[in-house]
Amino acid sequence: MTVVDVLSGRDTARQTPAETANTKRRRRGAIGLLSPSLILVLGVFVAPLAIMLWRAFTDPEVGFGNFTWYLTDAVQHDVLIRTFTTALIVTVVCLVVGYPFAYAMVAFGPKVRAVLTLLILVPFWTSLMVRTFAWVILLQDNGPVHSVFKFVGLEQVRLIRTNLGVVIGMSQILLPFMVLPLYAVMVSIDRRLVMASASLGARPLTSFRRIWVPLSMPGVGAGCLMVFISSLGFYVTPALLGSPNNSLISQQIYVQVNSLLQWGKGGAMGVVLLILTFAVLAVLMLALRRAAREEQHE
Amino acid sequence: MTTSARCRRAPMAMASVLVTAVLTVACSAPGPGSAADVDLGSGPPQAGTIKADALKGVTLTFVSYGGIYQDGQMAAAVDPFAKESGAQILQDGPTDNAKIKAQVDSGNVTWDVIDSTNVFTAQHCGDLFMPIDTSIVDVSKIPPGAKTDDCSVPAMQYGLIVVYNTEKYGANPPKTWADFYDTVKFPGKRAIQGKPGELDPGVLEGAVLADGVAPDKVYPIDVDRALRKLSSIRGDIVFCNTGAEAQQFVESGQVDMALLWSGRAYTAVKNGAPFAPMWDQWMPEADTIAVAKGAKNPKASMALINYYLGAQQQAKLTELTSYSPINVDSKPQLDDLAKSFLTTTPEREQDKFPLDVAWWAKNNDAMTTAYADWLAR
Repeated sequence: MTVVDVLSGRDTARQTPAETANTKRRRRGAIGLLSPSLILVLGVFVAPLAIMLWRAFTDPEVGFGNFTWYLTDAVQHDVLIRTFTTALIVTVVCLVVGYPFAYAMVAFGPKVRAVLTLLILVPFWTSLMVRTFAWVILLQDNGPVHSVFKFVGLEQVRLIRTNLGVVIGMSQILLPFMVLPLYAVMVSIDRRLVMASASLGARPLTSFRRIWVPLSMPGVGAGCLMVFISSLGFYVTPALLGSPNNSLISQQIYVQVNSLLQWGKGGAMGVVLLILTFAVLAVLMLALRRAAREEQHE
Repeated sequence: MTTSARCRRAPMAMASVLVTAVLTVACSAPGPGSAADVDLGSGPPQAGTIKADALKGVTLTFVSYGGIYQDGQMAAAVDPFAKESGAQILQDGPTDNAKIKAQVDSGNVTWDVIDSTNVFTAQHCGDLFMPIDTSIVDVSKIPPGAKTDDCSVPAMQYGLIVVYNTEKYGANPPKTWADFYDTVKFPGKRAIQGKPGELDPGVLEGAVLADGVAPDKVYPIDVDRALRKLSSIRGDIVFCNTGAEAQQFVESGQVDMALLWSGRAYTAVKNGAPFAPMWDQWMPEADTIAVAKGAKNPKASMALINYYLGAQQQAKLTELTSYSPINVDSKPQLDDLAKSFLTTTPEREQDKFPLDVAWWAKNNDAMTTAYADWLAR
């Protein structure tokens, strides 16, 4: 079951009357099994979140002061828009690169699949810091990439300390979060449907467009969601690959929390980011529900 | 569902509960160490000394910024102090303002002696740091003017200076702040610190000095004027996040001038970068050492600071880190290049521009916010 299944209400397992006798005991078992993760979530997520929320409304004084500041500050407004734009661009880049990649993973033989899987998993297992520093070295002035650009006469193209550099770095780092859900969905698509459409006279492109793409949509949704939401909170990569005038909301939160010790303001920024993220989730959920309903109607 | 499957699941659930219980207990275990009253001997304190074995059984945590600097502090002062006093000293880092606040606010202070910045300790003297106890800490050997607030002593001294490429500018090098901002007479990229939320005193001062403000009229800083001046060369600025990055820009020739710390400048030159410092109106800066408010053992913490200030300790610290000593009797053994970067010499005393740390303590948040906003634009 994927994130998308949950969101789109596809998890429709219902209890039969025969099972209700065991329900109590099973519930106790379930609580037992879940308690470590529950404690973890309560202790290191819910409680700090509640404290952050509390501080956003009370530090330094009770009221909406922190929110008024955040929502009326012109610079913060620009940074927020920049954060969402960057996240959107990174998501699109990941989809454009990741979709054919995931398709290749299921379309070709096991050997190709093994190589492609390795190509996705090895960076996935490598520390984010290491990968970001690798990009710094690759993209820096007079670095390998810049040298190639110079060689072909594109010397003026700068990569490090630009938005382009940030997008390149973030996309590479987040690519596995796009490819893995896509692969998981694509591998379970019944390929006989594609063959069936071909036998009914559809050209390859038509069967791809009308059969493959719609069936892979849950993967697209899950991948885009993971990449987009992860992008919103990125700190290290934009800090190292971007110039300060590409700074994203996480860097601005750092300013408030770490440099100025304005935890109320930092909290308000976190709350706004959280609400906007939930809003994105809600929109996507509605869209997926609708798509699922239409699918059933067909 | 079969019975056997359920039976298998029950012990698993039990185990989970157990794990949870263990986790909960482990997390709520009381911290070590209670405030033992220590006997540090009688008589006025003397910088660099500690009564032998006075702190047996005491555990302190020393926090600094890591790297060569913290290694130097440990080797020059902290480890010898542990040996002489019998205390056990842990080290942690890097110094993190938010962590200090979190510890003090929650009343669970695990960082005792903290290396911070002079503006931060001045700004938070009383609410995050406790006053220096001069009955334990001998402050008489600190160079005049170097101690900038009641809650700290300087940890060392360095300077915010401009360095320039000697090959590029040759016989006509930049000499003043105005030259640093003159990209027509002195074309080339300039490195300036540009991490949102971090702003050393000196950056804005240099900008208004370059813009023609008289040295005695710099404070209060006209921040709009300073940022306008910075904007005038923004296209030629390469922003750096850290000192290491600034040094790398200098060494790799990615910039022709840099506004950076004397220690970094020295290392870059030592590594072969063809750069020289411009000392006219250089800005003296210092890390400070302070004791967190609510520290478990203030007396022992003060004793460590007193030991840290000794002439020998400071000499060794300078030899290991190239930062300048803050004990007037210190005689570090250095080569000529390292000597030329020392900031606590009579010569440097004459050409410095003294930063107003007390003003910064009051205006730091406004300045840092204005600079962060300017950077983000």
